[in-house]
Amino acid sequence: MIPWKLVPRYLRAHPLRSFLTLGSLTVAVFLLCFLYSVVTALNAGVASSSSSRVIVQSAVSLYVNLPLSYQPKIEAVEGVVETCKWQWFGGIYQDRSNFFAQFAVDHETLLTTYPEIEMIEGSDEEFQRLRTGCIIGKNLAQRFPELGVGKTLPLLGAIFPRAGGEAWEFQIAGIYESNSANVDNNTMFFHFDYLEESMDTGTVIADPGVGLFVVRLEEGTKTEDVQRSIDNEFSAGPQRVQTTTEAEFQRQFVTMLGSVPTLMGSIGGAVLFAILLAVINTMMMAARERTQDFGILKALGFQDRAAACLLVAEALLLSVAGGILGVGIAKVTAPIFQQVMGTTVPGYDVTSHTATVALIIAIGVGAIASLVPAWQAARLRPIQAFRAEG
Amino acid sequence: MSDSSIVLDGVIKTYRKGGEELRVLDRLSLEMQSGSFYALMGPSGSGKTTLLNLVGGLDQPDSGTLHVAGLDISSLSNAELASFRADHIGFIFQGFNLLKPLTALENVELPLLLTPLSRKERREHARHALDLVGLADRAKHRPGQLSGGQEQRVAIARALAVDPTVILADEPTGDLDRDSADAVLDLMARLHEEFEKTVLMVTHDAVAAERAKKIINLDKGRLVSNLDNPGAKAANSPSGGTT
Amino acid sequence: MKLPPLRYNFRSLLVRRATTILTVISIGATVAVLAGIQSLQKGFLSLFDESGREGVAVFLRPGAGSEGESAFTRDRADILMKTLPEIASGPDGLPLASGELFLAVRMPKVDGGETNVPIRGVQTKSFDITGDLLTLESGRRFEAGTDEIIVGRKLLGRILGAAQDDVIVLNTTPFRVVGVFDYDGPFNSEIWGDADRLQEALKRRIYSRVIATLKPGVDIAALSARLENHKEVPAKVLSEKEYLSTQTGFLSGILNVLAYVLGGVMGIAAIFTGTNTMLAALSSRTKEIGILLALGFRPWSVFLSFLMEAMLLGLIGGAVGCLLVLPLSGIETGTTNFDTFTEIAFAFQVTPTILGNAVLFAMLLGIIGGSWPAYRAARMRPSAVIRRG
Repeated sequence: MIPWKLVPRYLRAHPLRSFLTLGSLTVAVFLLCFLYSVVTALNAGVASSSSSRVIVQSAVSLYVNLPLSYQPKIEAVEGVVETCKWQWFGGIYQDRSNFFAQFAVDHETLLTTYPEIEMIEGSDEEFQRLRTGCIIGKNLAQRFPELGVGKTLPLLGAIFPRAGGEAWEFQIAGIYESNSANVDNNTMFFHFDYLEESMDTGTVIADPGVGLFVVRLEEGTKTEDVQRSIDNEFSAGPQRVQTTTEAEFQRQFVTMLGSVPTLMGSIGGAVLFAILLAVINTMMMAARERTQDFGILKALGFQDRAAACLLVAEALLLSVAGGILGVGIAKVTAPIFQQVMGTTVPGYDVTSHTATVALIIAIGVGAIASLVPAWQAARLRPIQAFRAEG
Repeated sequence: MSDSSIVLDGVIKTYRKGGEELRVLDRLSLEMQSGSFYALMGPSGSGKTTLLNLVGGLDQPDSGTLHVAGLDISSLSNAELASFRADHIGFIFQGFNLLKPLTALENVELPLLLTPLSRKERREHARHALDLVGLADRAKHRPGQLSGGQEQRVAIARALAVDPTVILADEPTGDLDRDSADAVLDLMARLHEEFEKTVLMVTHDAVAAERAKKIINLDKGRLVSNLDNPGAKAANSPSGGTT
Repeated sequence: MKLPPLRYNFRSLLVRRATTILTVISIGATVAVLAGIQSLQKGFLSLFDESGREGVAVFLRPGAGSEGESAFTRDRADILMKTLPEIASGPDGLPLASGELFLAVRMPKVDGGETNVPIRGVQTKSFDITGDLLTLESGRRFEAGTDEIIVGRKLLGRILGAAQDDVIVLNTTPFRVVGVFDYDGPFNSEIWGDADRLQEALKRRIYSRVIATLKPGVDIAALSARLENHKEVPAKVLSEKEYLSTQTGFLSGILNVLAYVLGGVMGIAAIFTGTNTMLAALSSRTKEIGILLALGFRPWSVFLSFLMEAMLLGLIGGAVGCLLVLPLSGIETGTTNFDTFTEIAFAFQVTPTILGNAVLFAMLLGIIGGSWPAYRAARMRPSAVIRRG
């Protein structure tokens, strides 16, 4: 028999301490959710990649373009349905700090290679029709409220400067939303033809070429065979290529982060450690104050486990509450972080997996923290308890 | 239950304090009859409280045997001792030892959790016990909102509530003023007279001891005397209403 | 005004040993995280901030933010190098200027995956411009006009196949590593080879930038303004120091945000813990405080005494944090510098300033955590306290 009623009473007997412990737990769980979500978001692109696409890029460097003449040769490979050029544009919108990604693409095949992209405002027809048309991600449209359908988006070319040094001007034909993490909602796409045309007419100073080709495969095609065929096609130069699955391509960007995920992990560990100590501290204080009460309970005939159970229950109650609050705050603030870190960590989201892990960790902290005090409370002899009081 | 409810035979209890062995009870043999009211007296360090703790199953003798209510205390495990306390013992302490976060009623109800009573029955028992000590109107008060005398009466109600065989009181009036002490002593006497409990009360207070039927004197862990108290006064008033 | 002796506070912390230790470690962990991130940032920034020179000019195409975005055709770069009167001359009478090709190439990492390693095709004058700052750790310099390269020291152990005598295939041309060099700056994570040979191998017949040693007293801003609208070779000019300082904003910013967000959030948790500890101190010493007040100590003194104890707790926590973070010093790590999008290796740099700030922060945590309990202690009525005890 355990006098459970005492648990909430004890928590209420020291409202400030209960609040502070709850607060530390909440903060820690929130922080864990945040760090875990960042790492999850970084890997989200890999996880959500489509297996029906492969990416062809230079085997030498991310910055080396492939000749345009490669496109028909790739399309001739067996199993290839269609291709889409992607060229990093690197333009500046008003200021460098407004950084977001822009790609010159084959407008005809962008939406067929990426069925994940959906137009939520404007239309694809308009995008196809306008030579200087572009579409922007919905987060981008939120970030820059002045950019809406029908508006002009001026970009200063850093890699593709116009001869006179003036800005490129694109007409916003639509706003898209991607329902998958492998395409983020912070990107702008425009017609590759427009870029190429500008280079032909001498208004732009840069090498012609294309950064990468996105290749859509026939249903049921063996990806490895296509990869090998394309790599072999260009193995003798002039530019060797590297054909990867979309997942591998995304993973390249994650591994480029080097020690960042490790860093996040160790910070998470430190947070957990600090908070574990804080909760142990509270439980020890609680146990010390209750020495006499536990003595009384035992004198009244309650078994040893009653005292231990009370402490464990108190710690668990605190940690579960802290866990729920922390996860709740992480969930509620997720849209804010999505906005703030849109370009750095696209796809930041507190998934139910993250929430579950955080809750389990919180409960674990509560359980571990109450272990030693509970054991001591169980071992306590009533006469020691009364002596300690005297 | 045998008619001699507490029997000690050659009980030795030693404590270690600062590296020194202290023999607190030295081959103590003693019989206490069931249903009587004993005052346990003696100078500081004579072993009174230790004896009380042994009888209450809070501690066990190093050697010798101790039977309470027919049970051999020295042979019980920790868990069995706890059950023994729950079934047979009611404690009343000098410092009252109520649980501060609980109301008076909840404090009285606490040991009833260890009985098979239903929630409703527990409530009734606790109210009844509180009524007996004259504190029915203080049921919702926390210990912090009660006077010392009231706290001790709540503690008596708690000891009484489970209908124990033996009630053990350690200086129950030590922290109280005379009026409150008298009210508490009246209650102690009633426990013995009306409810026929075996009451064992440790006290320094000669006035308190006067209320007992028998007075046991200890010194240096040995029995000095175990005598009837011919001048024992009966309870003055049926419900100690003074505070 | 008399304060209760400080010894008293020490003893009090010692009596509640377990609680004190837990709080100290909890504060320590908080400041260790903060200091750790700051030393990471310091290690990264010092590579860029401390290695750039004022007298060396970097010429980029106007509008380009980094050499990766910049390009000059070979003949236009030649015009820059040979005709500018501001460029100093070497002992051979030729201008101390060099065209450099810069490209981040894919290289496999030792721990899996690939990253972008900066490769720099240089002309011999680049060595004259870097002078003694670049030293060879092993091997020799590459021979001009050959397919030889030298690698920065920090690539060893991080990048596969980048050790002395290894062969690196760039596109289709194999290059042999003939030396390992050291440079106290970002060059340390680069591969250097002959500009002409690399242009050929990489099919990139351009220079990314031109660097030059300027004559003493040349005003770079004026030079930049003059060249901006040059009709043959428009260019912008920055000192090497200024250029490098523009290459750190993004990563440094992330580390900054990380340090302040984590420091702030963990700090709140640490303050909560500190308050709890001091509250426990308060409740276990209620009687003592009552006696102090009854003896005639002022409530204000009791307040200060409590605050001092909390500060002491913070101070010890800060010291523990420093001890936790010190072993990190010198540990090499690496990530992508997002401004250049190339791999950069750097070491944690634990400086006295960082440690000092950590201790101050820890004491601040202690003070904030201690102020409420201290206020409560000071407001106690001696009579109430003693009666309660």
